[in-house]
Amino acid sequence: MIFPQPLQALVESLCRFPGIGPKTAQRMAFFLLGLSREEVVGIARAMVEAKDKLRFCSSCGCLTEEEPCRYCSDQSRIQNVLCVVQEPRDVFVLERTGQYRGLYHVLHGALSPLDGIGPEELRLPLLFKRISRQGITEVIIATNPNVEGDATAAYLARMIKPMGVKVTRIAFGLPVGGDLEYADDLTLSRALEGRREM
Amino acid sequence: MYLENISLKNFRNYSVQTVSFHPDINILFGSNAQGKTNLLEAIYYLCTSRSFRTNNDQELIKKGSNFFFIKGSFRRNESNYLVETGYQYPQGVKIKLNSKEIKRSAFIHQIPVVIFCPEDILLLKEGPALRRRFLNLEGSRLNPLYYTNFKDYFRALQQRNRLLKEHRHGILDPALLEPWDQELVKLGAAIIRMRIAMLKDLEQQSFIFFNLLTGALESLSIMYQSSIDYQDHLEHLEDSFRLQLKKNLALDQKRGYTSVGPHLDDFSVAINGLDARKFASQGQQRTAVLALKMGELALFKQAGGAEPIVLLDDVFSEFDQRRQQHLFTYLSERDGQSFITTAVKIKHFETGPKKRFNIFTVCKGKIDAGSRLDY
Repeated sequence: MIFPQPLQALVESLCRFPGIGPKTAQRMAFFLLGLSREEVVGIARAMVEAKDKLRFCSSCGCLTEEEPCRYCSDQSRIQNVLCVVQEPRDVFVLERTGQYRGLYHVLHGALSPLDGIGPEELRLPLLFKRISRQGITEVIIATNPNVEGDATAAYLARMIKPMGVKVTRIAFGLPVGGDLEYADDLTLSRALEGRREM
Repeated sequence: MYLENISLKNFRNYSVQTVSFHPDINILFGSNAQGKTNLLEAIYYLCTSRSFRTNNDQELIKKGSNFFFIKGSFRRNESNYLVETGYQYPQGVKIKLNSKEIKRSAFIHQIPVVIFCPEDILLLKEGPALRRRFLNLEGSRLNPLYYTNFKDYFRALQQRNRLLKEHRHGILDPALLEPWDQELVKLGAAIIRMRIAMLKDLEQQSFIFFNLLTGALESLSIMYQSSIDYQDHLEHLEDSFRLQLKKNLALDQKRGYTSVGPHLDDFSVAINGLDARKFASQGQQRTAVLALKMGELALFKQAGGAEPIVLLDDVFSEFDQRRQQHLFTYLSERDGQSFITTAVKIKHFETGPKKRFNIFTVCKGKIDAGSRLDY
């Protein structure tokens, strides 16, 4: 395809977004070119501002505008329970439930030697420091339910338990409100594994 | 499920060809290099959208052309399935089910088919890699959970091996290794338990067929051979696995490789209590492998699948008269459809129940649904 150079550059930039291939990138580029200058500047400004104004909370690692973040500074939250998640976006997912009122700690990844990620690459020293200094009594591990997430959970449990802190793993199982017959085999088998006495 | 008819265009040595088949047994008779196996390949390709001989679809195109096309209609009870697959170079494959285009990945296992060819004897003769592949393929086909466990196990294994390699010449903190060991033990033990259960079922089914073929003169047993020594106490599997990972750690670290686990396991087949790999004759080995394949068929049917189509490539000539007869009786009595290629005349075909089969003559890329007398 022969595009004028600025258009080519735009398409290539848009291609860097996850899930965006060359075709979609072209559609997006032509869409942008169809907008007024103000609208385009608005979009560009929103991107730059989000990047400039947001940072990772130096304590919990979640995305925030203020320092410390609103979860860390909110004294009405339960101060002795800590939920460990892999990515900043997981915090928003858990917050949406409105069920969890404790603190967070974002690892920014999971253990994966194949990707060169060891304990040093995760925000672990800070986690251990927080546990001992802030009087945490329970750590809930909410890493993803896959090989790397499970291994990270096992590693954390091994490191945290000797500190005399209760370590729990969130349960995996059936989607609520669905019929048993619609659950996939893997989910169902993990739900069976994690069954509890009534 | 059976194949009613097939149409080929530019497939291997066929230019244009349409044939209708018998719902029970179809015998493809002809000299060598006339196109018998090519026809089996076309049927297999129609069922799975893959060849059993090559991964390169381009090889399937007739010389001097740039595309091939296979069309066939299958019948199961009252339903008809029209399958059309075409490959054009360089565009690629197109598959249509009842005139609706579908993806190749969505098509796998839609139409059950089993192929048995002379090379299958390698399953017994060669090293353990082929047998593990057999276990993993069958395991995944019979139980989707097997596949997820297997995939995750390999992921964890790769992670562990990378960790070992990175610390080849240094000190490896046990705390770093422990989480991966834990994953390996959990997933690996699940895989081994599933394999053992599957082989037990397979042994039972294969034994029935083996008896039938040999006339109950020999016995067949299948043993799972694990690299983990759990002393015949399956309930200690996890503990034994964990212990042996620890025991081998120094060596594993030096090699950068995990030396124990289901990725190194094997199974053995014994005839009359003797290891078939070492002590069985060529003919016995062949019978045993065929019994395994037929056992696989039975398991597949047990799991609720449709009766698979059986393709036997040049198998009859390898057996003695008695086994030939038993095999033919078995095939004519089972519910599913079978295709048999042969270069030599086989007696039982002439004396067998006439209604249950058709003979086709294959000659230089032409198929002739000739009369029985021609044969």
